[in-house]
Amino acid sequence: MESNKKYWKGLEELQNSTQFVENNKGEFSEKLPIEEVLNEAGLSTVAPRRDFLKALGFGLGAVTLAACNPAPVTKSIPYLVKPEEIVPGIPNFYSSTFKGQSVLVKTREGRPIKIEGNPNCIITKGRLSAQGQASVLDLYDVSKLKGPAYNGNTTTWPQLDQYVKGELNKVQAGGKKIRIVSSTINSPSTKRVIADFVAKYPNSKHVQVDAVSYTGIIKANENSFGVAALPRYRFDKADLIVSFDADFLGTWISPVEYNRQYVSNRNNTSLKNKKMSRHIQFESGMSMTGTNADTRIQLKPSEQGIALMNLYNALGGTLAGSKKLTNANAEKSIMLVAKELAAAKGKGLVVCGSNDVSVQILVNAINSLIGSYGSTIDVANASYQYAGNDAEFVEFINEMKRGEVDAVFFLNSNPAYDYVNAKEFSDALAKVKLRVSFADRQDETASLCQVVAPAHHYLESWSDANPLEGYYTIGQPTINPVNDTRYAEEGLLIWSDNAVKDYYQYIQNNWSANILSQSGSTWKELLQKGSVYLGEKPAAASAFSRDLNAVAQTIVNQSNALVKGGDNAVELSVYENVAVGDGKFANNPWLQELPDPVSKVTWDNYAAIAPKFAEKLGIAELDMVEVKTDKYSVTLPVLLQPGQAIGTVSIALGYGRTKAGKAAAEVGKNAYPFLNFVNGTFQTHTAASISKVAGTYELAQTQTHHTIEGRNIIRETTLKDYLKDPHAGTGKGHGANKYDLWDKYEQPGHNWVMAIDLNACTGCGACIVACNAENNIPVVGRDEVRRRREMHWIRIDRYYTFNEGGEKITEENEIKDLENMDNVSVIHQPMMCQHCEHAPCETVCPVIATMHSSDGLNHMAYNRCIGTRYCANNCPYKVRRFNWFNYWNDSRFDNYMNNEFTQLVLNPDVSVRSRGVMEKCSMCIQRIQSGKLQAKLEKRPMKDGDVKTACQQTCPTNAIIFGDGNDPESEVSKALQSERTYYVLEEINTMPGVGYQTKVRNTVEA
Amino acid sequence: MRSISLFFRSVTKSLILISSLSIASVTMSFAQDAGAGAAIFKQKCTACHGIDKKVIGPALKGVHERHDEAWLLKWTKNAPSMIASGDPAAKALFDQYKPAMMTAFPELSDDDVKNIYAYIKAEGEKPAGAPVPPGGPEGKDAAADGEVSNFMLFGLLAVIVIAFLVILVLNRVIHTLERVMLQKQGLITEEEEEIQKDRFAGLKKLSKNKKFIFFVVLLAIIFLGTAGWKTMWNTGVNTGYQPVQPIKFSHQLHAGVNKIDCQYCHTGAFKSKNASIPSANVCMNCHNYVQATDKYDGEISPEIMKIYKALDYNPETRVYGNNQKPIEWVRIHNLPDFAYFNHSQHVKVAGIECQKCHGPIQTMEEVYQYSPLTMKWCINCHKETEVNHKDNAHYDKLMAAHDQLKKGQKVTAAVLGGLECGKCHY
Repeated sequence: MESNKKYWKGLEELQNSTQFVENNKGEFSEKLPIEEVLNEAGLSTVAPRRDFLKALGFGLGAVTLAACNPAPVTKSIPYLVKPEEIVPGIPNFYSSTFKGQSVLVKTREGRPIKIEGNPNCIITKGRLSAQGQASVLDLYDVSKLKGPAYNGNTTTWPQLDQYVKGELNKVQAGGKKIRIVSSTINSPSTKRVIADFVAKYPNSKHVQVDAVSYTGIIKANENSFGVAALPRYRFDKADLIVSFDADFLGTWISPVEYNRQYVSNRNNTSLKNKKMSRHIQFESGMSMTGTNADTRIQLKPSEQGIALMNLYNALGGTLAGSKKLTNANAEKSIMLVAKELAAAKGKGLVVCGSNDVSVQILVNAINSLIGSYGSTIDVANASYQYAGNDAEFVEFINEMKRGEVDAVFFLNSNPAYDYVNAKEFSDALAKVKLRVSFADRQDETASLCQVVAPAHHYLESWSDANPLEGYYTIGQPTINPVNDTRYAEEGLLIWSDNAVKDYYQYIQNNWSANILSQSGSTWKELLQKGSVYLGEKPAAASAFSRDLNAVAQTIVNQSNALVKGGDNAVELSVYENVAVGDGKFANNPWLQELPDPVSKVTWDNYAAIAPKFAEKLGIAELDMVEVKTDKYSVTLPVLLQPGQAIGTVSIALGYGRTKAGKAAAEVGKNAYPFLNFVNGTFQTHTAASISKVAGTYELAQTQTHHTIEGRNIIRETTLKDYLKDPHAGTGKGHGANKYDLWDKYEQPGHNWVMAIDLNACTGCGACIVACNAENNIPVVGRDEVRRRREMHWIRIDRYYTFNEGGEKITEENEIKDLENMDNVSVIHQPMMCQHCEHAPCETVCPVIATMHSSDGLNHMAYNRCIGTRYCANNCPYKVRRFNWFNYWNDSRFDNYMNNEFTQLVLNPDVSVRSRGVMEKCSMCIQRIQSGKLQAKLEKRPMKDGDVKTACQQTCPTNAIIFGDGNDPESEVSKALQSERTYYVLEEINTMPGVGYQTKVRNTVEA
Repeated sequence: MRSISLFFRSVTKSLILISSLSIASVTMSFAQDAGAGAAIFKQKCTACHGIDKKVIGPALKGVHERHDEAWLLKWTKNAPSMIASGDPAAKALFDQYKPAMMTAFPELSDDDVKNIYAYIKAEGEKPAGAPVPPGGPEGKDAAADGEVSNFMLFGLLAVIVIAFLVILVLNRVIHTLERVMLQKQGLITEEEEEIQKDRFAGLKKLSKNKKFIFFVVLLAIIFLGTAGWKTMWNTGVNTGYQPVQPIKFSHQLHAGVNKIDCQYCHTGAFKSKNASIPSANVCMNCHNYVQATDKYDGEISPEIMKIYKALDYNPETRVYGNNQKPIEWVRIHNLPDFAYFNHSQHVKVAGIECQKCHGPIQTMEEVYQYSPLTMKWCINCHKETEVNHKDNAHYDKLMAAHDQLKKGQKVTAAVLGGLECGKCHY
C-alpha cells in the first residue's frame, strides 16, 4: 500500500533546478574557498616554511601567555533577605494571562524565563501559541523606554502627572473632546478604570480598534441576532468545516483553541473510533489552515461573496444577483459542498475570514440554514477576544480633523503604523493639544505624542481578562518592573482623581465585588488557579430572519469593485501571518526567525503569486515587483506560491515597522495602507496592479534546507483506505527482515521515545519557539538563514504533493501536474533528532562527542566536540546544527543573545554553546534529568507525564507525545502501537526513537 | 613553604596559648566564684546582656548596687512571675525594656546566680581604660597571628641566609690566608698551582663522555617532561584555592565548635542544584543576639558588624535601614558552565556527606577548595560509589532489571549510566 506520490518542498526541488542541485551537492550551500587558498597564498607562496614557523612560534607563545592567566575571580552574591518562596536553582511558577489565555510563567531566581499554557485554561488547556511562547522575550527587549518621556526627553512621573492633569482640566474647561484609543480591551478592571475616567471627564469616549479587525462579524451578529460580539465557534462539534478564507488554525480569532478543537476530530483517538471530520477550504492565498484542509479550492477574493451566494442558493435560498463563478472547479465544488452541508445538518460549520458585514450576514444565513446555531456556533457564550469598531475609529479621525478633539490617549494601539493612511492620521493628530501614549517604546504613534507614559510588560503587572462569556483570567506580576514604567490604568486613575490609585488594589476590589462574589472562590484560590469560569450558558438556537436582498446587492457591487481591467491587474489580499501577526510582536527575533508555516520565509514579507500566473506576467521567483493601488504602492520580492489562486497576490501584514526596535528594523514592507475602508469596515481585499521592477532580492527561506533527497519519508493515506486497513500508507506488511550488525543497547531503565501524529500537526510552529526558549537556541538573522545556518533544533518540514485525483502516477501525469501547479496538497512534518538506536552520527565522530545513552537518547557533549561536522554530514535526517559563530558574544548577531540584559531570558539549566560545536535536539534532557531527580527525591518511581518536552508541552493539538517506551501503559507507548505508526527512513535501519503516524485525508472522490 | 609557615604558625599559636593560659590562671586565682559565673554568664546571659553595654536588656555593670541580692536572686530565676506579681522594681524594668521580657531561668541554683553576679561585679570593677576580659589577649593575638608568623618566617630565613653568607665569606678568607701562609713558607710551588688550576680537567673529560651526556640529557628530558606534564594536567585545577572573603567567616567556629548543621545555612543542598550561600537574614537568626562582644572589649565583632552594615541594621535601635548592600563573596568552587551538578542529587538522594567533596570543612578557618573538581575526580567517584537505593522506590525497577542482567555486580552510579556524557553535559 505504499504511496508513490511525489513530495517536494519547493519548486526548485520539483524542477530540480541547477541551482538546487548545486546547493545540495556539498554539505554547505556556499562554496568553501579551499582551492583559492591552495592556489594563492597556500602551498605556492615564497616562504611557507618560515611563515609556518612564525605562526607556530606566535601561537605557542600566545597560548602559553593565555594559560598563565589565573582563573578569574568569580563573585557569588546571595540574597540579603531571601524571599521565602525562592530557592536558588528551583523554578517557581506563577499564573498570568496572555491575550486572555491563562498561562504559567516559569521564573528562576526572580527572572521569568519560559511561558507555558495553564492546564486550567478552558481556551488553551495548557497549550500555547508561538507568540505566547515568544512573549517572554519582549520583557527583555532593550528597545523599550527606560522611563516616562515628555517631548522625547526623560521626565519624572510626578511632573508628567502634573502636566497631564493640568492639560486635562483645560480641555475639560474648554469643553472639547477627550478620546481613549485602544485595541480590544477585555479586561474587566481596565474597562472599569476607563469608565471611571469617562465619568470624571464626561467629554471622553473609549474607541477600540484592532489592527486586524473583526468588526464585520460583530456587526453582522448584531444585525442578525442582536448580539454585538463574536460568537464562540465549536470546531470540535463540527463534522464538516467549510472555511472561506478564514485562517482559523493560524491567526483567526483564537487559533490555539480552534487548533485543539479541530484536531480533536482528526487525531488518533478519533480515528480509532473510525471518525474524522472533513474540512474544505476556499481561499486565494495558501494559508496554514488551507494546508491542513482535506480539500482546498482556490477562490479569488472577488468571487468569495458570489460563491457564498451560490452556496446559499444551492442550500435552498433564493438570492438574486448570483452568477456562475469563472473558476469551473470552484463552481463545481460549491455544489458538492452544498450537498455535503445539507447532509451534515447540525454538524456543519461555515466560517468566513472576510471583514465585510454583508458577507458575514450571508454566512450567518447559511449557518442558520444548516442548523449550526446551538451546535457548532454558540452566540449565547460569546467571545470577547476582539471588539474593535472600525467605523468609530474612522469617525475619531474625522473628529480630530475637524479640530474637535483636544486630548487623546493611545493604549496598546499604534494607528500611525497600522491605520490605512498614516499621513492623514498624523496630520489630524497634530491638531490635538494633549497627546499621550502608553506604549512601552517610542513607536510610530508614541513618537507623535508629547507624553509617553510607558506601561509595564504583562509579566511585570497585575492584569485580568474576560476573553469568553463567564470566563475570567488573572495575571500576576512575575518580576519587579525592569524600567521606570507604570500601569496605564494607574495613570488614568491618578488623572481622574480616583479614590483608589493603586491598580492592584483596584483589581482586587473589582474582583471581589463583581467576579469572586459570583464564583465563590477566594483571591488566593484565584491566583493559584489563574482563572475563574462561571460556567457555560445553555446554547440557544438563534433564529435568523432577515431579508438578504440588500445584502446580496452590496456583495455583488463590492466584488465588481475588486475586478479591474488591464494586463497587470490583480486582486490583492493582505493577511496576518502566523509568526509576526499584526506587527505588535515585530521586534521579537524568535518570531522573526520562525519560518512561515507555508512559505518557510523568515525575516521578510513578500508578494505571493501563483507560479503559472507569474509565468504569464513574465516574473520569476525573487524578482522585485511593485504592487500598486491608487493610494499606495510597495516594492517587494516575489514568492511563487503553489496553490495561490491565479490573478491574486497576497502580502503579509505586520512588517515594515520603522520604530519598533532593532530586530524589526528593515524587515519587510508595511502592507496596512492596502486595507480598504468599505461598507463601514476595514477590508483586506483590494484591486491592485503588479509590475516587475529592476532587481532581485533573496528571501531567507528555509524550505529546501536540510533536504532529504527525494527519499520516501512522508506517508499518507485517505480515510477510506484507513477504514479498510489501518496500516494503509505506512509501507508496512512487506515483512522486511531486520539484520543487525550492532549489539543491542540494553535499556533496563527508561527508553525515551516520541510519537508524532502527522494528522494532528497543523504546522503552527509553537514547538519551534518553545524549543528556542527552553534550549537557548541562538537567533542567527536573515543573512545566516540565507546561508542555511538557522539553528532551530526542531523544524517543521512542509511538503507539497500533487493531488492524485484517482489517477495513477505516471511520468505523463507528472508533467501534466507541473502545468497544473495549483492543485497541490500539503503535509507538515516536525523533524528533530530522531535519537536513532543505530545512530549514523555516532559512528563517525572522531572524538566520541556524540554517543548513546542507556535510556535511548543520543547525547551530544558540546565541550568534547571539535567541530569536524562529520556527524551532520552523516545524519540522514539533517537535524544537526553547527555553531558558526559565538552568537552570544558577537556584535554581528545583535539579535538577542549578545546583549547582557536580554541574556537574562536564557535557561540556566542548558549551556550556551560556543562557536565550533555541533548541537541538536536533546529531547529536553534537562527536563528528563530534573523529572528523574524529583522522583528520586520523592522516593517513587517515575510516572508517565513527569517529563514533558518543551515542544510537547506547548503543542496546541497534542501532536507530539514523549515518554518512556519501556512503560507499556505510557501515553507514548500506546500512541506508537497505533497501526498508523511508521518510522522515517526505517529502511536504512537507523532504528529511530521517534515514530510518526500517517497523515489521513478525508477526501471524497468526485 | 606552606608547611613551614604552618609549622611556625602552630608553634607561635601554642606559645601564645601557653602564655595566655598562665596569665588567665593568675587572673582567675583571686576570684573563684567569678570564674564559674563567667561560664554561666556567657552561656545564658550574653544573648541579651552586656556588662557595659545595653543589648536587649540593660547593661549589668553596677547591678548589685541597684538591687539587693535577694531581689536579684528571685528576679534572675523567674522574672516573668515577678512582673506578674506586680513587684514595683520588676514592673519598672519591664516597662523600660518592653516588649522584651527577661527569660526565666529556674534551672539555676542560688550559687550559680551568686557566681554570675560575682563575675559581673568583678568585670564591672575593672578600670575602664584597660578591661582585660578573660580570653581577650588570646583573641587579640589570634587576629595578629598571621602577621607574626610571616614576619618570623622571613626573619628566620634572612638569618639563615646571612649566616650562610658569613660562613662562605669566612671560609674564603681562611682559605686565602692559608694559601698566603703556605706560599710564604714556600710549601707550594708554581707547578702545584698549575695543577691546582686544572682541577676541572676531570669534568672536561667527563663532558666528552658520550654515555654520560646521554644519561644527563635523558634525565633532564624525563625531569622536564614530568614537570611539564604535571603542570599541563593541572592547568585550571585550583585545589587549595583560598581567596580572601569579604567577611572572615569561620567554618571552624560555626560548623566545628558550635556544630551547626550544614543545612541550617546551606538550605539549598537538600532541595536544589545550588547548596546556596545563606542570605544575610539567615545570619541574623543568631547574630541578632550573638555579637561576640566579649572578644572585642564589649564592642560588636567587626566581622559581625559587616553583616549589619550589609543589611543597614542599627544594633542600637534594632532597626533596618534602606541602604542595603549585598555581600560579595568570592566563589571558591567553580565548576565549568558546561558541567551540570546538582547538590540535592548527591546530598539527599545519595546521602553523601558534605565533607566527601568539601573536605574537613569543620576545621577550616577559611575555606579552600579541597577537591580538584576535575572530570576524572567525578568519574572515579561515580565508578566506586554504590548507589544508595535502599528505601527508595525509584530504584526498585532498575534494581530488579540490574539483578537480572548483571547479577552480583556492584551497583555503582556508573553502572546505572552515571558515566554517560549527557548526564552532566547538556
